[in-house]
Amino acid sequence: MVSTTPATRAPAAADPGPLRPPWSARALIAAGLLVAAVAVTWLTFWWIGLSPASLAAGLDDTVRLLRRMWPPDLPGAGDVASMIAETLLIAVAGTGLAALASVPLAFVAARTHKGPRWLRPPARVVVVLTRAVPTLAFAILFVRIFGLGPLAGALAVAVHSVGMIAKLLTDAVEETDPVPAEAARACGAGEVQVAVSTVLPRVFPALTGIVLYRLDINIRASAVLGVVGAGGIGVALQTALGSLNYHRAAGIICVIVVLVLLLELLSVVVRRTVLRPTAHRRTAALPAGRARHDVGWDRGRVLRVAGAVATGAVFLVSLWSLDPDPGRLSGAWPNLRAVLSGMWPPAFSGELLMAVLESLLMALGAAAAGAACGLVLALLTAVNTTPWRPLSAVVRVLLVVVRGIPDLVYALLFVAALGLGPYAGFLALWISSTALAAKFFADSLEQLDPLPHEALTSVGARQWQAFAAGIWPQFVPSFTGNGLFVADLALRESVVLGIAGAGGVGYLMQESIATLRYDTTAAIVIAIAVVVYAIETLARIARRHLL
Amino acid sequence: MIGTPVLRLSEVGKGFHGTTVLDGVSLDVPQGQFVALVGPSGAGKSTLLRLVNGMHLPDSGTVRTLGENPAACSRSRLRALRARVGFVFQQFGLVGRLSALENVLMGSLATLRLPRYGVMSYPRALRIRAVEHLDRVGLADRRFQRCDTLSGGQQQRVAVARTLLQSPELILADEPVASLDPAASTLVLDILKRISAEDGISVVCSLHQVELALATADRIVALRGGRLVLDEPAAGLTAERLREIYDTAGARDG
Ligand SMILES: Nc1ncnc2c1ncn2[C@@H]1O[C@H](COP(=O)(O)OP(=O)(O)OP(=O)(O)O)[C@@H](O)[C@H]1O
Ligand SMILES: [Mg+2]
Repeated sequence: MVSTTPATRAPAAADPGPLRPPWSARALIAAGLLVAAVAVTWLTFWWIGLSPASLAAGLDDTVRLLRRMWPPDLPGAGDVASMIAETLLIAVAGTGLAALASVPLAFVAARTHKGPRWLRPPARVVVVLTRAVPTLAFAILFVRIFGLGPLAGALAVAVHSVGMIAKLLTDAVEETDPVPAEAARACGAGEVQVAVSTVLPRVFPALTGIVLYRLDINIRASAVLGVVGAGGIGVALQTALGSLNYHRAAGIICVIVVLVLLLELLSVVVRRTVLRPTAHRRTAALPAGRARHDVGWDRGRVLRVAGAVATGAVFLVSLWSLDPDPGRLSGAWPNLRAVLSGMWPPAFSGELLMAVLESLLMALGAAAAGAACGLVLALLTAVNTTPWRPLSAVVRVLLVVVRGIPDLVYALLFVAALGLGPYAGFLALWISSTALAAKFFADSLEQLDPLPHEALTSVGARQWQAFAAGIWPQFVPSFTGNGLFVADLALRESVVLGIAGAGGVGYLMQESIATLRYDTTAAIVIAIAVVVYAIETLARIARRHLL
Repeated sequence: MIGTPVLRLSEVGKGFHGTTVLDGVSLDVPQGQFVALVGPSGAGKSTLLRLVNGMHLPDSGTVRTLGENPAACSRSRLRALRARVGFVFQQFGLVGRLSALENVLMGSLATLRLPRYGVMSYPRALRIRAVEHLDRVGLADRRFQRCDTLSGGQQQRVAVARTLLQSPELILADEPVASLDPAASTLVLDILKRISAEDGISVVCSLHQVELALATADRIVALRGGRLVLDEPAAGLTAERLREIYDTAGARDG
């Protein structure tokens, strides 16, 4: 009964049936994305003239620039403090204004909205448009209207943030249980009353989270607003670079990096402490001996009220710091009218479309190249794939620092080192995409199921085989999704890098405003919005079909 | 009939961070025998199985698997040894997004040189054999279905088919049916039993269900607190007696 050879005996089936898997839409989309990524990267390299020789020359020039920047020259402590304070206040004012504007907008844009129906489409358009046009593009426009200074910066931050806050808040509003709202309507409440008393309290935690998240992004954005004269620490950077004072520029970049790193640290701490699910929630029972109608003061309520008052006070201080005196605001009115009336009709031109195409190529090429490099770095840093733990720690720290420097700063540096043009913009985007992709990829690699890899090790597979068969297939969806997200972010950056002279449509935008050709400005804004929205939509569709 | 043992543990000890998990365990498994390893949670069953294919190395004593000592093997030799030992996991260890066929094909990786991704990256001869093994566990018609859309029992059968593609001389199974319902459990154990009987492959299988162990195994080995406390042919044992040992062990260690 027991055979002597231990080899597995299998029944010799005459016809094994199909041995080739049927084609699936998923495989086709994945293959299409891969081919598109390779093609776009190749096209980008050709467009900007990237070659090993030009890379080597670029490296030389960059090293020379870095030598000229060393040692960094820090401004005095008082200057640093006031520059940082202005940057933070711009971010706070902008985020606060955006939050205030987003609440009614989100309620109107929500599918559950029961008020006047015609309000919804325009609300949606505002959300899409403001989200698609980058902060710096608004900043250029607002500097024209309101003059140099933090007021233009804060308004630019506010307008761009409205899009994202309102979109996320709309989702939250749509997800709330409709029954309490129905009940309030049944009691005869008007739509505004329903929104304020039944929906707002329930989306408030979500709103707080969204606003904090956006504040984090906005502080980073505010650090470079000064490059277009919209206040904050970027003004000093622009001045230093403009006067070829590279030691000072290096010092200011150091300040920005430290600021961003501190912020990163702070947000980690906040996420650990505030957003951790509370271990014990106090029950709602009233303390004994307190009248029914008396809400009373306990520790939680004191903290909440104090927090709200402090937040409000900081917001008011930030608004006041923008110096919005009536004379200045009324002076802006004619400018605004001139800009708006000059925008119609938008003037599209071949030059403009080529510039948009250049931005698109820069972004997609940089994102593809960045995803490839980021993947290698992620494999070196993720705990389950790293060949050597200490290396992982070093790369990790390095990536945080690289991510801490805004794209526009890289662009300014590369322009200073290599001269004007898309080459500098591509390198800037490549570096930031690599660092960003490496972080996303490493995070998602660490969340994969380790068991298949272990099972394949126990099968006797080599390390690379176990990776290719056990880890890579699991990783494909998050690789694609995060890769597309990086491309999306790179595109939003690439349309403004032209401000630093680093290629793309940003330069035309700045020029059109400087020469009062607002019809061109309008065309550029529309083109940017369309391209960004189209790429975002494509990415969303691809992601949905791949996961 | 019974020649040199397929597996021989002599006085094996193993601990983690100062705690003793296995203590002086000796065990010989001859070719073709189906051994059920029972014992309460934390008794060291998984640790014992992992010592056999070199996923853990013993602190004391020696392990000889198919005539090799995993602790003394070079990396490539250890890979070659692992290729001859099948390992079935409680949680299957399948890649959910891939087809059943591709998961089975991964069992042949040790015989291939380069990394593989996709069914078509494996030679045709291997694909034919993989389908035959899928047929053997009754899933040939599901070959192109994604594994995460299969039921738990079906997934474990795919994992068994993957092990079969290794042409193993010894199969280790760590609670292969712990997350399956009774019907699926019986089916998976029957398949393992049939393979053991038909192909003369030894199986060491840790189990929690006393009845299943008695119904399937030739021999029952019980661990408690890292020591071997019972080692008898299944034929002479009653469920009553086994459960008693199990329960007192549980009471004492818990
Ligand atoms: N890699 C490890 N590191 C530290 N301790 C471990 C490790 N693996 C196992 N242990 C410990 O060894 C002891 C025995 O574990 P083992 O997994 O072998 O038990 P088991 O009999 O398989 O239990 P179960 O039935 O719950 O699977 C446990 O106390 C466990 O915590
Ligand atoms: Mg176990």
